[in-house]
Amino acid sequence: MREKMHSITRRLGLLTAAAALFAGTLGGAATLAEAASPRAAENKMVLVARQDPGTLDFVKSNLTAMRLWIPANVVEPLVYFNKDGSVSPGVAESWTISDDKKTYTFKIRDTKFSNGAPVTAEDVIYSLNTMKNSPVVDYAAAYEAVTAIDKVDDHTVKVTLSRPSQNFWQGMGAISGLIQPEASAGTIATNPIGTGPYKLARYTTNSAFEFEANPTYWGEAPPVKNVTVRIITDGTAGLNALEAGEVDALPVITIDLWEQLSKRELDKKYSLVTYPQVGEPTYAVLNQKLDKDLRETIAKTLDRQSYNDAFGAAWGAENTCTFALPNQVWYSPESPETCPFPYDMEGAMAAIAEKGYASTPLEYASLSDVPDLSLPADIMVPAMQAAGFNVTRNAIDLARYSQLIFQGRPPQFDVTIMSGDANPVQWACPDPTKAGWSTYCSAEYTKALADADIALTPEDYAAQMKKAADILRKDAVIVPLIAKKGVGLFNPDLKGFQEPRVGVALEMSKLHW
Amino acid sequence: MAIYVLRKLAFFLGALFIASVAIFLLIRGAGGNVAAVVLGKGATPEAINALAHTYGLDRPMAVQYFDWIGNMLSGDLGRSFRTNESVADLVTARLSVSIPLAFSGLVLGLLIAIPVGTYAARNVGTPSGALLALVSQIGVAVPVFWAGILLSLLFGVRLGWLPTGGWTDWSVSPWGAIRSLVLPVLSLGLIMAAVLIRYVRSAVLDVMNQDYLRTARAVGMTRTEALLKVGLRNAALPLVTIVGLQIAELIGGTVIIETVFSLPGLSRMMLANVAAREVIVVQSTVMLIVVFVISINLIVDLLYGLLDPRVRATR
Repeated sequence: MREKMHSITRRLGLLTAAAALFAGTLGGAATLAEAASPRAAENKMVLVARQDPGTLDFVKSNLTAMRLWIPANVVEPLVYFNKDGSVSPGVAESWTISDDKKTYTFKIRDTKFSNGAPVTAEDVIYSLNTMKNSPVVDYAAAYEAVTAIDKVDDHTVKVTLSRPSQNFWQGMGAISGLIQPEASAGTIATNPIGTGPYKLARYTTNSAFEFEANPTYWGEAPPVKNVTVRIITDGTAGLNALEAGEVDALPVITIDLWEQLSKRELDKKYSLVTYPQVGEPTYAVLNQKLDKDLRETIAKTLDRQSYNDAFGAAWGAENTCTFALPNQVWYSPESPETCPFPYDMEGAMAAIAEKGYASTPLEYASLSDVPDLSLPADIMVPAMQAAGFNVTRNAIDLARYSQLIFQGRPPQFDVTIMSGDANPVQWACPDPTKAGWSTYCSAEYTKALADADIALTPEDYAAQMKKAADILRKDAVIVPLIAKKGVGLFNPDLKGFQEPRVGVALEMSKLHW
Repeated sequence: MAIYVLRKLAFFLGALFIASVAIFLLIRGAGGNVAAVVLGKGATPEAINALAHTYGLDRPMAVQYFDWIGNMLSGDLGRSFRTNESVADLVTARLSVSIPLAFSGLVLGLLIAIPVGTYAARNVGTPSGALLALVSQIGVAVPVFWAGILLSLLFGVRLGWLPTGGWTDWSVSPWGAIRSLVLPVLSLGLIMAAVLIRYVRSAVLDVMNQDYLRTARAVGMTRTEALLKVGLRNAALPLVTIVGLQIAELIGGTVIIETVFSLPGLSRMMLANVAAREVIVVQSTVMLIVVFVISINLIVDLLYGLLDPRVRATR
């Protein structure tokens, strides 16, 4: 989920962009910062985080600001899923999967947590049970088919499933599979403990994370021993710090900075990387209580290219009608085949006139303090009004939005726009009374997802997920617009960036001078 | 005098009670809860309600209020829902940033405003006086964050003399902490100076026309001597009032500076906690500030009563 960004920060972002350009004009040709970092010789690096998570409790928190730094760096999962689809050892040094895909046996590595305590089978059982009971539905969903988690011996744990589950296996390489010691549960929110290449030496809210190489790490020691992640909520301040040579990278550059990044030509001075994992699909949500024809008519007012253009950086996003990111097997870019309701303003206007939709009042709920959502809303609402819809915009902050939309039953909106993790399982719905905040409930879609979950081969899984994606797009409740990519800017001397393997977590141990 | 003191104490306690109720109701009335913010959109209502129950947010409002106030009175400011950190520790840690920032900004503002404002008043009607009045007017119009960003670009990005932002803790490096504060203090102080210059100028202009200044001139003082020895003392009275108001404004003003320069100060902590609906952290922190401000007012009132019998009679 996109996190809270206070409106002050947003306004500062917009105005500071102007200030930066103003100062650039005044200053004439800019004196380029030296690319070589003064920290290279000291074997240190300083990265920038745009948001402060407020809590590092990965059991309860779903905030991107936490998931970027703690998994893989401090707390490791049982296994790692690589970009090519292969699986590497994590806390589990090996594993066996029964032929019926219902029994997983993990051999736990003989290693220690960063606090010096040995990793035991009990720790693994505790961790898996904790994530199974996580209040974060995405995390707990991996355990839906799990019926037992048992100790075989001091270094072996067996997990029994009632049916094959792709969600379980993939979850063991994600946050659902993170392993922590039970003894540190009380301090997890400020000092999570794990077996990763780094340990968290200090976390000062709204200021910085300080990481040090974990002396007990089982793998190869990370090349950079000390890493500081400075929390700079103002985007322009972050870019300034990079130009001044105070920091070495902004691994995640939010969409509100893309245009500024190009105009300041920072993409030429520094290494620009784009990667899908930290990206997010942006999608309109049309309440399922609205007539399907009406939803289809709204969908036809969505000009995907105009949303893409608004962010001012063509390299940052792809137009799509699929709820997915480009690294997911069921992803497809915008095309006549994948868009059942393509942009068609004239068609929409004709339908509104013919069916009298102008007399239906529509409430458009928009998050006021998240730039990459308020900007699309700035386009979508006038477009709907121009087409003839009677739509009123209700701009609210995240806490209020959480109450009205996520928590409220029934959710109180007709149309809204969202951006978030591309886990299509979040739209699964066993029966209409269990519809989530999106209001979407489709037995057909849920069955397709269930079929994908029990798939025994990757090919079957991909086919079932494509089928589910097609059902979702044709129902016109979740209407994808663009797939934003993760965008990062690195000091040219800082090498080794790899795409995240555990969700969105940036693996700092791969970076080196 | 005893009745006067009792009346003031009763007013003090009444103000604290009303403030506590207002703070409690305002943060609760803002809607949303920390459980929904933490769990995100994927959470079911059941999960949100369960976490809210863990935090005690589903108890009756009156119970929550009296729990909070009772704990406050026993010296327990509460704990963060998300991290279980003590609010007292959270506030204390941030004061080491906020107090030097606010205090230094104010002092810098005064150090600039008093001589420049006096000079502008002395030279009213001259080109230099008009220029200073114009510059201060422009300064008033410049948003503090804009000043901060331009200073950051100049001294941080272009010249590389000072950090563009961020914070080095005093315990890590006192010199680093001072360097972290230079640009924020400059931004705050310059903008505050622009505001104060106008007040100093007006106050000095006002006293320059007073009889006691003419009397001072008549006994042989030069115009400058009269102004410095007699005028400034009298001009200081309205200025002190304005400075008092500026101190209250500093709490809000530092939010912007702390955000622009990424300083982990008290204002930014409160802002983040309001956004996350960390009700105990916000309630207790704001209450602490209210207690501080009302206590200062009480002390001033008591001093007025002690020093001026007319106040005791009229209030």
